[in-house]
Amino acid sequence: MARRLLLALFSALFVLYVAGPVLWLLSSSLQMESEITAVPPNWLPPHPGLHNFTAIFTAGDSAEYANRGIAGFLPSGAANLLPALYNSLKVGLWVAGLNLLFSLTAAYAIAVIDFKGRRATLYTVLATRVIPDIALVVPLFLVIRNLGLINSIGALVVTYLAVTVPFTIFILISYFEGIPRDLYRASRIDGCGHWGALRHVYLPLSLPALVAALMFAFLTSWNEFLFALVLTQNAAAQTLPIIIAGFVMDFTTSFSFVNAAGVIAILPPVLLAIIFQRYIVSGLTAGAVKG
Amino acid sequence: MAAITLQGVTKRYGNVTAVQALDLAIREGEFMVLLGPSGCGKTTTLNMIAGLEEISDGTLLFDAKDVTRLPPHKREVAMVFQSYALYPNKTVAENIAFPLRLRGVPKAEIDRAVASVAEQLELTPLLQRRPNQLSGGQRQRVALGRAIVRQPSVFLMDEPLSNLDATLRLSMRSLIKRLHHQLKATFVYVTHDQAEALTLADRIAVMQGGIVQQLDTPEGIYERPANTFVASFLGSPQINLLRAGLPRPAWVAEGRDVIVGLRPEDVARPTEGLTALSGRVELVSPLGSETQLELALPGASITLRVPKDWRVTEGETLAFGIDPARLHVFDAATERRIAP
Repeated sequence: MARRLLLALFSALFVLYVAGPVLWLLSSSLQMESEITAVPPNWLPPHPGLHNFTAIFTAGDSAEYANRGIAGFLPSGAANLLPALYNSLKVGLWVAGLNLLFSLTAAYAIAVIDFKGRRATLYTVLATRVIPDIALVVPLFLVIRNLGLINSIGALVVTYLAVTVPFTIFILISYFEGIPRDLYRASRIDGCGHWGALRHVYLPLSLPALVAALMFAFLTSWNEFLFALVLTQNAAAQTLPIIIAGFVMDFTTSFSFVNAAGVIAILPPVLLAIIFQRYIVSGLTAGAVKG
Repeated sequence: MAAITLQGVTKRYGNVTAVQALDLAIREGEFMVLLGPSGCGKTTTLNMIAGLEEISDGTLLFDAKDVTRLPPHKREVAMVFQSYALYPNKTVAENIAFPLRLRGVPKAEIDRAVASVAEQLELTPLLQRRPNQLSGGQRQRVALGRAIVRQPSVFLMDEPLSNLDATLRLSMRSLIKRLHHQLKATFVYVTHDQAEALTLADRIAVMQGGIVQQLDTPEGIYERPANTFVASFLGSPQINLLRAGLPRPAWVAEGRDVIVGLRPEDVARPTEGLTALSGRVELVSPLGSETQLELALPGASITLRVPKDWRVTEGETLAFGIDPARLHVFDAATERRIAP
């Protein structure tokens, strides 16, 4: 009995620890500046309203400092928030899509086709991820600049793919190796070439891993800060983390605005997770071969 | 239909040679069984015929066509796996239809072919199920269906019955034999089960260490084993192989070092014309229609299978006769068969 109580207590503490900041973000995004900074804090919004969100969506029209009246004031980069959201979405979707395309074909080749230097290929791919990102920032900046890609979505997509593809290949290889080899053999005998085997055996049976890879790539891109900071310098390509970080680096911080922006920033990944979670099921290969 | 010819086919994995310079001519429409213990190279040979393993050296012909470097999907062979290898995301009907779909066969024709195969294999009520809703025997019938729906000229089977229980294995065995008669295709069947090999094969290739030890009809393999390995691999209980203790046939040169083999069932009541022997009965194991005996001869111990009406009891001294012509003689050094 005491054991169960303790378990419940610590579970509750853990939930609070994980969910607390998110709940505070939600709550404060519905409050006015003065209510957020009040002591003691208002855990629930006293006068809940969408004024902060309205400010975000109208910021483009009237990006004037301190023109929000009682609700608070606008940070100097407020007008860039929606373009940044759009940039983040674009980069995220490109990275998620291309990451899957490249990783899938590479992982298939390494996991399934028996070619010379297959282990070496895998290790080389993984070795690129041993180097910390910070060590790569300057050389990458030079490469991207010489390619004329600074301040472009393409610069971010290419850079993020270099981060996500090796990991995704690794994840997919271990998943592919768990798919019974006889299914591959059967498909080859039945008339599939390598593309056919990939399409008819490996794709449908690795759906959970593919969804995980998609989410991983999108989130990595969505959250990335360091490369985005260095490789993009204006609103043409800057992503959400850069713009939102800019809000707190302002000479005064508008918590109401930042929190509303935070809510908008977590929405796309959450939606993505909700849409795809039903595909993350196990046991897809049940009944394929004698267990 | 197709004849399959292997010429000096070799498979190496690094330093290990799995199959060594294999020459094998499988005739059109023949039921060829590759028989041997695990690791003897029989499955590797089958996979090379299928195109699932690259051939390190040598040539593989289907009829007169060189297919050595042809990928599996261009070889037009069908294969049944020990693990069944059904596509878990497809229904029974879709599994069977899959090879035809890949070949762009019109839908109406596919439906007809699937229905007829399902009828033949008694799968009709199961067509909409998925593999995980089927029993082992049903799964293997689906795998067979997927193979025969294409009406292939070459049929490859890799221990298809090993995962089934004993009763099911017997009925599937006769199903496969019937299929062979109906389809008149060339069958290559891999097994380690001598009973399967003896009942199904037109010819058996007994393999060990990546080499074919003997290629012959089931009768030939059983009656005239080429060496001691083949002699002891076929037959249950195993053949008695002794350097001393059994009488040497008269034609064996005096002083030559030989191993003499006696099949346990090659014994009779002592009569005229047979070599008379006797030994003490150590163990009696009734098998229903027959009785298995362990017998101590002077200087040797042998196993015999005798009719149950001999009514032997443990401890008695049994007198019996053997026909010298039924003895197998092998050279003691090479372990190869020697004949008069």
